[in-house]
Amino acid sequence: MLVSNFYNEVTYLKDRVVISPTTRQEGHAELVMEVDDEGIVTKGMYFSITPVRGLEKMVLNKAPETAPVLCQRICGVCPIPHTLASAEAMDMALGIEIPKAAKLLRKAVAAAHGINSAAIHHFLVAPDVVPEDKFVDAVNSVSEVRKNVQYVVEMIAGEGIHPSDIRVGGMARNITPFTKERLIERMTALKPKLEEHVEFIKNCVLEAGLPNDLGVVNQPLMAMDATYGTNDFDMDKFSEVLPEAWYDDPEIGKRGCSVIPLWEGNNVETGPRARMEKFSGFKDKGVVAQHVARADEMLKNYDACMEALDAIDPAAPANVSYDKRGTGELGFGVIEGPRGTDVHMAKVVEGKTQFYSAIVPTTWNIPTMGPATEGFHHELGPHVIRAYDPCLSCATHVMVVDDEDKSILKNEMVRI
Amino acid sequence: MVLGTYKEAVSARSTDSKILEVSQDGGIVSALLCYALDEGIIEGAVVAGAPDDDWRPIPTVVTSSDEVIAAAGTKYSMSPTLSALKEATRQCGIEKLGVVATPCQIQGLRKAQAYPFTRFVADKVKLIIGIYCMENFPMASLDTFATAKLGFDSLTDATKMDIGKGKFWLTKDGEDNGLAIKETHGYEQAGCNICNDYVAEWADVSTGSVGSPDGWSTVLTRTDDGANVFKAAVSAGLIETKPVSEEKFGLPMLEKLAKQKKDKNNAERERRAKMGVKVPTIY
Repeated sequence: MLVSNFYNEVTYLKDRVVISPTTRQEGHAELVMEVDDEGIVTKGMYFSITPVRGLEKMVLNKAPETAPVLCQRICGVCPIPHTLASAEAMDMALGIEIPKAAKLLRKAVAAAHGINSAAIHHFLVAPDVVPEDKFVDAVNSVSEVRKNVQYVVEMIAGEGIHPSDIRVGGMARNITPFTKERLIERMTALKPKLEEHVEFIKNCVLEAGLPNDLGVVNQPLMAMDATYGTNDFDMDKFSEVLPEAWYDDPEIGKRGCSVIPLWEGNNVETGPRARMEKFSGFKDKGVVAQHVARADEMLKNYDACMEALDAIDPAAPANVSYDKRGTGELGFGVIEGPRGTDVHMAKVVEGKTQFYSAIVPTTWNIPTMGPATEGFHHELGPHVIRAYDPCLSCATHVMVVDDEDKSILKNEMVRI
Repeated sequence: MVLGTYKEAVSARSTDSKILEVSQDGGIVSALLCYALDEGIIEGAVVAGAPDDDWRPIPTVVTSSDEVIAAAGTKYSMSPTLSALKEATRQCGIEKLGVVATPCQIQGLRKAQAYPFTRFVADKVKLIIGIYCMENFPMASLDTFATAKLGFDSLTDATKMDIGKGKFWLTKDGEDNGLAIKETHGYEQAGCNICNDYVAEWADVSTGSVGSPDGWSTVLTRTDDGANVFKAAVSAGLIETKPVSEEKFGLPMLEKLAKQKKDKNNAERERRAKMGVKVPTIY
């Protein structure tokens, strides 16, 4: 049997099922599953096939303020966590303590974005879990939620996508009392709708007939904070290995494009479920639990957003002036993004960025997602992958261009 | 169509003494903004704020009548007004925005509305009040008038700035110092010399002193939105009107100046084009 589903190709190679690229996720990756005679996955390997992020190199030897502007372009789906992580890393690398109002504005933005991003994911998984007769309702519900929380992001951070007003040293400016009132009013009006949305999605997931223990893994959890994040990152516990050293299959090791980040020597699970387990006593594991945790977290983010909005003093300063020469020490920006822990690191010497690195949430999850498909039929593999809401668009699509006539010689990485 | 498309031309002035005390002429811009704010037609407006001692106009977001009146009066250097649109429609949370702008700024704003590259910014602009503009001076030119031409130590010594009776006036230590207008030629922005728009042809309402007696302004209502706000402000008794004069210094003067600007600047456009310099399209 050869199944062609959406744009992906499913190929049977003897005892292997290869899905390349995996669909209804952001960016491109490949899922290789070794299966037995029943089609049950005995070994799952998931790896990124989008090479070169490049942005960490582009910011080198430039002014520190360049980093949040460029690094937010890592992704158009979660640009807010990347901007925040970049700005926080630079704040720390420059020894800046941002004003309280700026921190609250950042927290409100991060929480609102968390709700938005979870809603986007509900749209992506709707074909898996939402019955056909409720599909239109689901899409409308996603749109309604997104419209309102994106309004909050836009008003505070300048733009809903690629925010212009999250700056090194704080925020470009504070909101006015009028805006604070308007945002609280709008979020208050959203609450019943959001609760209804969460309930609707959870019901759909629970009734979708997915096996309860599908995708259960027992990896250590990566979650630094219940919501926003903290800049406390222990480099001694962190290590990275190249894909060649991680995957048993040398061919996959060669083709895998992201390094494998480890915490205390282990691959980890990060994301809403990890946060909910670590900080809110959530117990369940696996695909269904991940969907439920993600939906529940929308309400947690709602509360976090309202709490921050309430506490903002519109008369307070939202930024500080700072010495841009840099401390020469490594600064960390650790943001709990919708898909997990987003870590940016920066070092600034004599006013120029000397080192920059980003470990984005899906990179943590990549080594964990493949094995999570094991023990079930391969047709459930994509469900396992999508439960992590992987986002691999944090990469540059490179192509080879003729120096002379600018014609494109190779572009297989663009037209995957 | 030397004045662009308009519905009605009248002479008008504010009936509010608080506005007339601070306004340049008839206080029409301030009266319209105050009315639109009080009635909720707009929630705020971007205006050229009152300059500090250095005379540099700062784009300012106003949300109350008091703030409108505090910002009243002509500014003689460019206020980068459009730069404040983002702040107004973001951190200030304004959904229905008014803008007071020069003809060139309105051209840019109308284009932004036609091609919405900036999401949720230009589409929130609900009322554009245009001011007649022959030309505008960069700050460096104002500095030159004060120091090199009038012998001040600094522009900050000036306490008042005005144009009238054929002269550019700066007041220092209570004494008015006049500079003949022809002395200011060549100091305007280079772009002003190829602009074809004197009367803010793309505004919702345009206004300025020319065409009306002292203390009055000539108002051109152009769009339905503009005409409705103006009519409503007149009905509410905030603005009084009288027919615009058909005599030499009435509407014919406005038409004459508008045509003069077009003729003179079209010649400059042709001159530049002949040299191979690109000139912007006139719509």
